[in-house]
Amino acid sequence: MAVIHDMMPAFELFQPASLDDALGLLDRHGADAWVMAGGLDSFDWLKDRIRKPAVVVELGAIDGLRGVKAAGDGIEIGAMTTLTEVVTNPLVREKFGVLFQGAEAAASPQIRNQGTIGGNLSQDARCWYYRAGWSCYRAGGNVCYADTPTAVNREHAIFGADRCVAVNPSDTAPAMIALDAKMVIRSSKGERIVDAQDYFVGPGTDITRLTTLQPGELLTAIRIPGTWAGAEFYTEKVADRKVWDFPLVNIASAMKVNGSTIERARIVVNAVAAQPMRLEAVEQFVAGKPRNEETANAAGELAVRGAVPLAHNAYKIPLMRNLVKRAIRGGDNGWASTS
Amino acid sequence: MANEYKYIGKNYTTPDLVAKVTGKAKYAEDYRAEGMLFVKLLLSPMPHARVRSVDASAALALPGVKAILRASDFPAPPAPPTPPGGQAPPAPPLPPETALTDEPVYQGEPILAIAAVDENTAVEAIELIKVDYEPLPFSVDPIDSLRPNGANARTQGNVYTGAGPTLKVANVKWTDADFAEAKEGRLPMGEAPDTFVLGDIEEGFKKADLILDETLYSQSTGHQPLETRTAMAYWQGGKLFLHGSTQSVAQTVPNIARMVGLKPDEVVLISEFTGGGFGSKIPGSGSMAIPALLSKKLNGAPVMMRITREEEHYIGRARAGIFGRAKVGFRKDGRIVAMDFFTIQDNGPYNPQGDHRSAGSMATLQYQPETYRWRGISVLTNTPPRTSQRSPGGMQMNALLDPVMAQAAQKLGIDHVELLKINAPSGKASYGPIVPATKKQAYVTQANVREALDQGKVLFGWEEKKATAGQKRGTKVRGVGTAVGVYTAGSIGFDGLAIVRPDGKVEVHTGIGNLGTESVIDCQRVYAEVLDTPWEQFEIVWGNTAKGLPWTCVSAGSQTVHAMTRAAHAAATDLKTKLQEVAAKIRGGNPASYTVANGKVGSLTFAEVAKKAIELGGKYDGHEGPEDINVFTKNALKIVAGMGLVGVAKDTYKRDGNTHSFVAAFAEVEVDTETGAWRIVDYTSVADVGTVLHPRNLQGQTFGGSMLGMGHAISQRWVYDKQYGVCLARRFHHNKPPSIMDIPATIKWDATNIPDPETPVGARGIGEPPVGAGCGAVAAALVNALGAEAFRRYPMTPDLLLTSIESKTWQHDALVAHI
Amino acid sequence: MGIDFLTRGITPWGQSVFTHISWDLLWVSFFAGVVFLAAHSVYMLLSAHSKRASADVDALEAKLKGLPEKIQRHSLPARMFHWIMAASMLTLLFTSFLPIVGVKFAWVEWHWMAGLVLAASILYHIIHATFFMDFWSIWVGPKDIPELKSEMMRELGGDTSGPKAAKYPLGNRLYHMAIVVTGIGASATGLFMMKKVQTPFFTRDPYILADATWSWMYVAHGAAGVALVGLTMAHIYFAIRPEKLWLTKSMLFGFITRRQYLEHHDPTRWRVPGSEPVGGRPSE
Repeated sequence: MAVIHDMMPAFELFQPASLDDALGLLDRHGADAWVMAGGLDSFDWLKDRIRKPAVVVELGAIDGLRGVKAAGDGIEIGAMTTLTEVVTNPLVREKFGVLFQGAEAAASPQIRNQGTIGGNLSQDARCWYYRAGWSCYRAGGNVCYADTPTAVNREHAIFGADRCVAVNPSDTAPAMIALDAKMVIRSSKGERIVDAQDYFVGPGTDITRLTTLQPGELLTAIRIPGTWAGAEFYTEKVADRKVWDFPLVNIASAMKVNGSTIERARIVVNAVAAQPMRLEAVEQFVAGKPRNEETANAAGELAVRGAVPLAHNAYKIPLMRNLVKRAIRGGDNGWASTS
Repeated sequence: MANEYKYIGKNYTTPDLVAKVTGKAKYAEDYRAEGMLFVKLLLSPMPHARVRSVDASAALALPGVKAILRASDFPAPPAPPTPPGGQAPPAPPLPPETALTDEPVYQGEPILAIAAVDENTAVEAIELIKVDYEPLPFSVDPIDSLRPNGANARTQGNVYTGAGPTLKVANVKWTDADFAEAKEGRLPMGEAPDTFVLGDIEEGFKKADLILDETLYSQSTGHQPLETRTAMAYWQGGKLFLHGSTQSVAQTVPNIARMVGLKPDEVVLISEFTGGGFGSKIPGSGSMAIPALLSKKLNGAPVMMRITREEEHYIGRARAGIFGRAKVGFRKDGRIVAMDFFTIQDNGPYNPQGDHRSAGSMATLQYQPETYRWRGISVLTNTPPRTSQRSPGGMQMNALLDPVMAQAAQKLGIDHVELLKINAPSGKASYGPIVPATKKQAYVTQANVREALDQGKVLFGWEEKKATAGQKRGTKVRGVGTAVGVYTAGSIGFDGLAIVRPDGKVEVHTGIGNLGTESVIDCQRVYAEVLDTPWEQFEIVWGNTAKGLPWTCVSAGSQTVHAMTRAAHAAATDLKTKLQEVAAKIRGGNPASYTVANGKVGSLTFAEVAKKAIELGGKYDGHEGPEDINVFTKNALKIVAGMGLVGVAKDTYKRDGNTHSFVAAFAEVEVDTETGAWRIVDYTSVADVGTVLHPRNLQGQTFGGSMLGMGHAISQRWVYDKQYGVCLARRFHHNKPPSIMDIPATIKWDATNIPDPETPVGARGIGEPPVGAGCGAVAAALVNALGAEAFRRYPMTPDLLLTSIESKTWQHDALVAHI
Repeated sequence: MGIDFLTRGITPWGQSVFTHISWDLLWVSFFAGVVFLAAHSVYMLLSAHSKRASADVDALEAKLKGLPEKIQRHSLPARMFHWIMAASMLTLLFTSFLPIVGVKFAWVEWHWMAGLVLAASILYHIIHATFFMDFWSIWVGPKDIPELKSEMMRELGGDTSGPKAAKYPLGNRLYHMAIVVTGIGASATGLFMMKKVQTPFFTRDPYILADATWSWMYVAHGAAGVALVGLTMAHIYFAIRPEKLWLTKSMLFGFITRRQYLEHHDPTRWRVPGSEPVGGRPSE
């Protein structure tokens, strides 16, 4: 059978108007159903004819899944809220600058108008070998084309390679983990709430998924508690292009600082492993330490301990190290204006 | 002189602009016809294979499937003509590329096409087809292919040798000893079949106070026009009507005719708008033959073939990547006394590419070295076909040499702008190899590079920016760089055609493609200037050969503005003469005594004169034409004859020298030394392109060209997996052409605006030279910021730079082609 | 067809290859094992015993006076091999099949480490068995047909004068044979697969073999693995069956008693010190 791309196969499209209808559809169609939010990940798969679901359940018509609202001293963001809405929301900007910046770094303005926060968090790996439709481990096969003597893998993992070296590409995931967000997951069987950190899974646990979402389940909302509201935040994304690009490495951190002492910190790095990495060892190390270059340096070194580079991605080690350093240092890094 | 013009050199709105910005412009894909069928292609999954058999029975049985097209359905290409009394020219060393093939030589090469009632059906049919392939040895990397046991991309061999009648494909392998230097990342230099020498480089190097020897790699990059090469075809009354996307309308017609097996006057091409070509659609595309031949099979039914972005990557052409090694000797005062330039070109699988030869030649123009040697080898690879991409070879020359110049400026303690000025071409500067006929080098019509550099230096604020370059602020460091882009910028000998209609309007016909440069319109401003008549009185007819278009240059190599302002000048002068003659026939007297101005000839209106011209017939209304015009124009003349007073002429103006243009560029970059991320802070370019024809479009072309060049420096890539020889960077978000956010918000520009003495209007082309200048200036600025050890390949992505910064020397693989 | 026994994938060249056997076959093996155990237990409840009659044993005991009280059946190195192998085998089976049945955890490192232990122990066993043990005592061949016949007769309830077991009963040896095939099959293919994952030993390189070769290697590895599920179940079952406990004990402590020796074995086929009858060599 010849392979051909760029033509969506026919499927039955459902656009449920309520969450219950959506869950009912997922229940009824089981593994045949494909859930679509903004479509920016889905259309890739569908147009390449690599995934040919019988049914697509498009969530855009469900009002209840959209919008940002105050919840106690924190906020709740509907999973179908567009990235643009997240970026422009005053509550997000005021309290959780780290999320605002992460979301603003994603993709391009046009894509942010269409892409959703739930979709950005739940998107699949972008490894170009996996996305080519070949039977790699992540696709249920038994080879990793991205880690061979001749593979081109500068965008791949330096941690946690369990056969698969794809990375999580999300720009907003690190912020969510740093903010201690809770992911609200619904299915016809009820609701479960998982910590943002546990929402993402590595290849050891499940090599074919990046999240804990199972068939029949929907991410409906993200609840961000007030724990880190107004803390000192740092985000940075390093990519080849200034727009419309996935991170080579990105970082999000939240820090409570008392004078010159770091009280506690949350530091999360993405695009270095199949799941966003919360650097708990670093967090413990810096807690109670003075905020200075020495602490920053030591934190950076600690962060990259155990990294295993592939043929073309050894740069991710100093890059991650330096980003962690910068997160501890905070502030900008000079010369921001245009001339 | 430029100031004397009323229209030339002034901004105005071109008549096609509103349609473009409102979406009303119709590109090939926008046409629909009753009963139109759709085509889908089956692409080779392998980089090199032989099709043993195709089983399409299930596909053809699918309801809605109308036809299949295979390579064997293509007419045999006509044999090249035998010169009178001479011998038939030798067969080409490789069979010519056709739009479909049974021996795919790159992954993604189309094997067959299916026409069906809609695209869904065609795709489902493709999926039902079973193709049995015999995999053949392949190579996607020129250096791999040159290794002692390297595979050949073609069964005939791996390297083009010779040229013209001696062109051959040979099996060239270098020895382990040749590769000894490769271990240190220096380009191995084995047997190279192509070379030219100027003077004695050994003697030259003896005079040098500083010798640099640097290896760099400039990647292959796709042309990536936003409009893919979609085409729609139908047949009517024995003629082929083709809606396509092309850079050059007139010259696409004979190309299609040849591919489909017709005579040129049996083809009507409609291409009013083209969404970019950059060299990939010079005479249209080979793939246009697919809907044309399918439609023929289907009794002329309209057949639409929409090309996807991924298909565009495969069949849409690419720039030839070049590995370069330059050994350059400088005297203390900055003068280049010797240059030894070695290039390995990634030729792709088909026609021999000239990029590396152009690079070798352009280096002599830009740097005017006292002694020089160029050696080159063009290696066939199983990657998509290459063709000229905006500044072919010129851009790679800048990429490979400007970092060396930046380094030399630092080491010699000479200002980089001064270094370029010291070595700059001036006046009728000579370049390239010794021409056998004259035993001398060729020379340009005019070069004002020093003037451009001086102008740009002030506009950019070079001195102030240079003062802070190299300083670190926070984790960031800035650098400044400059470069000059040089390239051919004009041809001669084409035709102009225009009609003064009985309604008084002047209808100018042009065969230029509307590829985005606006030269299709801008060149016609010459008519307004010569006839001294308001622009509003002119109508431009373009993009439909049924309307009768004159023979026109291809829009490639920055030829158009030069060639077609000359043709316009010739035809406008013919119009003017005929207007005066006809006026004299109406009113009597000496034709020369009639002033042509403001739509009048003396006191007669253009309308009155046109009516008289139709009465007179003969040469006045186009029933007779000059003998020296092209047969294509003669056919056009048949179409327009009798419509009014017809002006038609071939450009026979003299020219001393070969026309070239120059762009001086200046860039400031800022690198974050902790992340390797960098940005272009400021950029300025000054064009030396003769008379400015249309400032706003010149600005657009200067920026667009610069951006293409910057893209090579910033992010644009081309990635292949060596094991399977298949493409990895298939999508825009993988191959990363630069975005508007990757360049400074404002870019400054200017032009020397010194008329070229060798052409009546004084205007030269702008297309090519800003590309090399953009890439070279940015690369030079990075060297200025980080030192010469920062990079050995393009694009200079953060990963490469960070690794170099961390380890104080470059660490990446300089000798691997597609990563 | 209904069931697909092999799962297919696609190579970068669009060629169809097998990625592994269908994991439905795991359930086939598992249930086959369960059905066999159930059937066997029921049968054992009803069937006669196959050991030598008590009177005959007494007679033999009297005849073979030189026999010690404890007869060594498995040397310490042999026992160590067995238990190391058992541990690694169980680790391999659990690490491979638990994730397939839905218990998700990072299994790969455990799997290949256990696999290395298994491969090393097999290598050790081959060398040890070749040079330090009665190599042929474990093999099955045409010469075993009389034993097979008499064992069948005994299983069917009739007594027979046919030969009794040598050192290793026929069932034991047939099982060993199956383990040799599946165990070596799984570990040899598994060793190749180590080139496909990150380990401290090799650079990952899936291209040492052609796609099609790999495809069959995965099928073989999977098939052997699935077979080992059933075989291991059977093995454990027999090890804990009351009438076989004497054998299990011997694998723990190394020896069997003189009476067990005489009840289950043919002294003429398994010679131990003191098994030389007073009346000279028995014929073979």
